[in-house]
Amino acid sequence: MVELVPTLLRQELARLAEDDLRLDGRGRWEGRAVSLETDCLYNAEGSAKVVMGDTIVYAGVKFELRTPWPDRPSQGSLMCGAELRPVAHRKYEPGPPSPQSIELGRVVDRGIRESGCIDMESLCIVPGEKVWGVMIDIHVLSDGGNIFDACGLAAIAALRTAVVPAERFDVGEDYTLKVNGTPIMASFTRVGGRYVYDASEEEELGGDERIHITIGDEGHLHSLQKGLRGVFTPAEFAEIFEVAAQLCGELRTLVANQEGN
Amino acid sequence: MGGYGDVQLLRDDGLRLDGRKIDEMRPVAIEAGVLPAADGSAMVTHGLNVAVAAVYGPMEAHPRKIQRQDRAVIDVRYNMAPFSTSDRIRPGYNRRSREISKVTAEALESVVLVERYPRSKIRVEIEILAAEAGTRCVGITAAAVALADAGIPMRDLIVGVASGKVEDTVVLDLDKAEDNYGQADLPVGILPNTGEIAFLQMDGDLSPEEFNLAMEYNFKAAGEIHEIMVDALKRRYEGGEN
Repeated sequence: MVELVPTLLRQELARLAEDDLRLDGRGRWEGRAVSLETDCLYNAEGSAKVVMGDTIVYAGVKFELRTPWPDRPSQGSLMCGAELRPVAHRKYEPGPPSPQSIELGRVVDRGIRESGCIDMESLCIVPGEKVWGVMIDIHVLSDGGNIFDACGLAAIAALRTAVVPAERFDVGEDYTLKVNGTPIMASFTRVGGRYVYDASEEEELGGDERIHITIGDEGHLHSLQKGLRGVFTPAEFAEIFEVAAQLCGELRTLVANQEGN
Repeated sequence: MGGYGDVQLLRDDGLRLDGRKIDEMRPVAIEAGVLPAADGSAMVTHGLNVAVAAVYGPMEAHPRKIQRQDRAVIDVRYNMAPFSTSDRIRPGYNRRSREISKVTAEALESVVLVERYPRSKIRVEIEILAAEAGTRCVGITAAAVALADAGIPMRDLIVGVASGKVEDTVVLDLDKAEDNYGQADLPVGILPNTGEIAFLQMDGDLSPEEFNLAMEYNFKAAGEIHEIMVDALKRRYEGGEN
């Protein structure tokens, strides 16, 4: 079945792209206003709320004591999961985790994990017996487009404010989790034939494939993901990678400023 | 109810551990229209509880077997975020959230003018972001404001409140310690304008006199919260619909 609205929307987006315009008047590499709030959830050991346009995302960090994996007796663990619950949009159905939510959680997880910002050895309490498991849960409350970047930002901002609840688990005094770095994700969606940054809900509806790039403090890549149907050229990637490096720097400053307050 | 009885919940001066009087509720703040993707939404902060409700619809009811020829069905999902409690909750539906969702849906179906929307469905999503006792009541209050924000006609704004008993004393609006170690909990959904009750649960131990007093406290608190709900909706639509 041809979906009528996306067909008309695609035509409109293609027409706008000819003059390098976007539906909401933004420039090609211009993101929507971002607001970041941290330490905003009672009961979470670290938390953040991110608002990007009509997208609203919360992330909460919890800790649990567990026995280490036999092959890594002195390492703790990190897990990041995302839930696309029906609260976030009428298109989301209740039920077991969808492929989209699993992809979302795993892409965010990889960016944080592979940046090495958490030293897994530092999560060890008694080698072979007791380590911390760090869980970042991301809750999308309103999907107004580009939830990946909002989730990535909320996750790292929450992690960076996390306090290890050692007292509650009777293993010493509470302390601030050491996080060495701020990996940031930037996502690009093909809209009207060319890539744009921070696609809105309508641009996603009438757009094609997307590329997610997570960049660490040193400018290195830590996770990449191409999602949805479509292809791209190395030249196109080179262009968005360069843009991503700059945009990630700006968002990293936002996280740092929030922590400074 | 934990009902251990060995934890002191009332201070020697007669006030509660957090300094409240026995008939005093925790502070409540409400904002309507917080979620851009939803047809109606609200966030309620009640003490340290934070609940967000989203309403979608009325929309086509499917699967078809849930359709009612003469009215809308209300599909409620109450869910606690994994980070909402001190020990992380595994994501997914459990028996507790299923039961709360069911009785909440039935309460809302008692106040929404469901007969205006035959064969359709109204989805109400209640997400608890932070829990400090009384989340089902906070969820009901949030759902009521979200339904009103979605423009869905109702007989009244249903208010969720709870009273209970600690150290043989009836108190309004149990906090976490009182909920864990108290002797009774009486959460209700009250229609302040009609004086009716659309939601009722209770566990613990209450004498008939204690029940009456707890209900009296609940009605008093429902009136106060109702004003805050109305105020939130007025603020949302000041200067016309946006």
